[in-house]
Amino acid sequence: MSETVIRALGLGVEINGRRLIDGVSLAAERGQVVAVVGPNGAGKTTLLRALAGLLPTVGELEVGGYDPRVIDPATCARTRAYCAQKPLSAWDYRVSDLGEIVGDPLGYADWLAKLHLGAFADRRLSELSGGEQKGAHLAMTFAALTEPFGSALILDEPAAALDLGRQESVRQAILAFAHAGAACIVATHDLEFARLCDSVVVLAEGRLLATGQPAAALTPGIIAEAWGAATGR
Amino acid sequence: MTATKAWGAGIILLAGLVLLALSVGAGVFGWGEGGSWAQLRLPRVLAALAAGLALGIGGAAQQGVFRNPLADPGLTGVFGGALFGIAVLLGLSPESAWQRAWFIPAAAFAGALGTSTLLALIGSGGSSARLLLTGLGLNAFTAAGTLVIASRSGESRELLTNGAYGDWLGMATLELAWLPTLLCMLAALLLLPLARSLDLLSFGEDAARGFGGDVGRTRRQAVLLTALAAAAATCLVGQVAFIGLLAPHLARAMVGPRHAKVLPLSALLGAILLLGADTIGRGVWSQAPLSAAAVTAVLGAPLFIWIARRNHE
Repeated sequence: MSETVIRALGLGVEINGRRLIDGVSLAAERGQVVAVVGPNGAGKTTLLRALAGLLPTVGELEVGGYDPRVIDPATCARTRAYCAQKPLSAWDYRVSDLGEIVGDPLGYADWLAKLHLGAFADRRLSELSGGEQKGAHLAMTFAALTEPFGSALILDEPAAALDLGRQESVRQAILAFAHAGAACIVATHDLEFARLCDSVVVLAEGRLLATGQPAAALTPGIIAEAWGAATGR
Repeated sequence: MTATKAWGAGIILLAGLVLLALSVGAGVFGWGEGGSWAQLRLPRVLAALAAGLALGIGGAAQQGVFRNPLADPGLTGVFGGALFGIAVLLGLSPESAWQRAWFIPAAAFAGALGTSTLLALIGSGGSSARLLLTGLGLNAFTAAGTLVIASRSGESRELLTNGAYGDWLGMATLELAWLPTLLCMLAALLLLPLARSLDLLSFGEDAARGFGGDVGRTRRQAVLLTALAAAAATCLVGQVAFIGLLAPHLARAMVGPRHAKVLPLSALLGAILLLGADTIGRGVWSQAPLSAAAVTAVLGAPLFIWIARRNHE
């Protein structure tokens, strides 16, 4: 298997005649953490969903050894895990139910404990705060990726709703997955976190504005261009 | 409540009901000397059990696949489609409709699958309002179609009207009921393996696919099997509202929302509710028995309002 776990070439997404992602190319290798940054509406969530194979896209795409658009979902999920920005649940499960649904109750319980949610296992999701619910879904996502080596972990603003302690735990979890050989793609508004990543992808209006090591991609000029364009400055 | 307790209580209740149902209503069914309990009451009890379990599990599956606690084959027009299918067959060729045991079930299945598919295409992916308004439209259309056919065909008129009022259980004979009864059980058995897919789907389509669920296949299977359950149950009882709605709600209240528990328990509760309603209908006013659907509606309406209140909180 090659070093490259996630590879997109000229990736494009068009929904209802609007081009939300236009010609984005990026790569993430084993052990790398790649931050996807950009202003609101830049297309971060759309790009992550496209990479996870959840949207109809044009262009080349390979994630965890497969093209997620054509491989069957069960096989795909063995080498690709995805957690949405705002997970939801139609039914009011107990926190512990999520481990059985994802098929690895022990691994899930382990992640719950690492995210300081072990004491909530018997509660219902509706009894948890937004941040705690997000933590439970992250634990579910982490538990789903039983073989990190060569797999892709795609997280949409994993730390956004969490308190400081859990933000740090999620950061540790991401690093642990990278250390175990996964490629992690993380959408974030936290530029401090992005500067610590191996690589940064700056999106603006669905296009790739800059990509590369943090020092090269997050220059004051690029930041002004990306965020300035969104605020109309 | 633990699952074991819920099942224990449910099975004891059901066993008691079956004994009661087999012993009630001798006067009502005194159709001549040839009518023994084995010929009259047993088929009726079996039909009520089978239809009830199909209604219960069908409702649970439909709620699961639409991620909506108000989905119910009665409200969403799938029963209406099944009855409309039967009406079309009876309207087109009233004589040949009864020549083969599978003609009527097949017509019901075609109608139910039609409405079930339209519902999935038009009513899903949006709000409760969209789902229920689509169901309302399908219900109105199929009910009107059934009425038009009933009013124009002399011999089938009473039959179709009784079907619309859920009053067909009384006609159950082993000869008429064996195939729909088997189909009810088949649909229920085939729905059980969807439990994990429905659990995954409850986190949304993205999450379900992210965790390896095949959303398209789950949806196709659920649409097909709820149509089969609804069609087979309609062949036995006619249209019965509320059971597909109540059974899953009661099941979730007892054992939580995991589909591996909710699907089978909804089947058990559906069987209890329908057989209970039919037995009450026959037993309380033995001179003028009420249809199972009428009893379900009278007892189900207050529970329906309770659900509406509970969902709002």
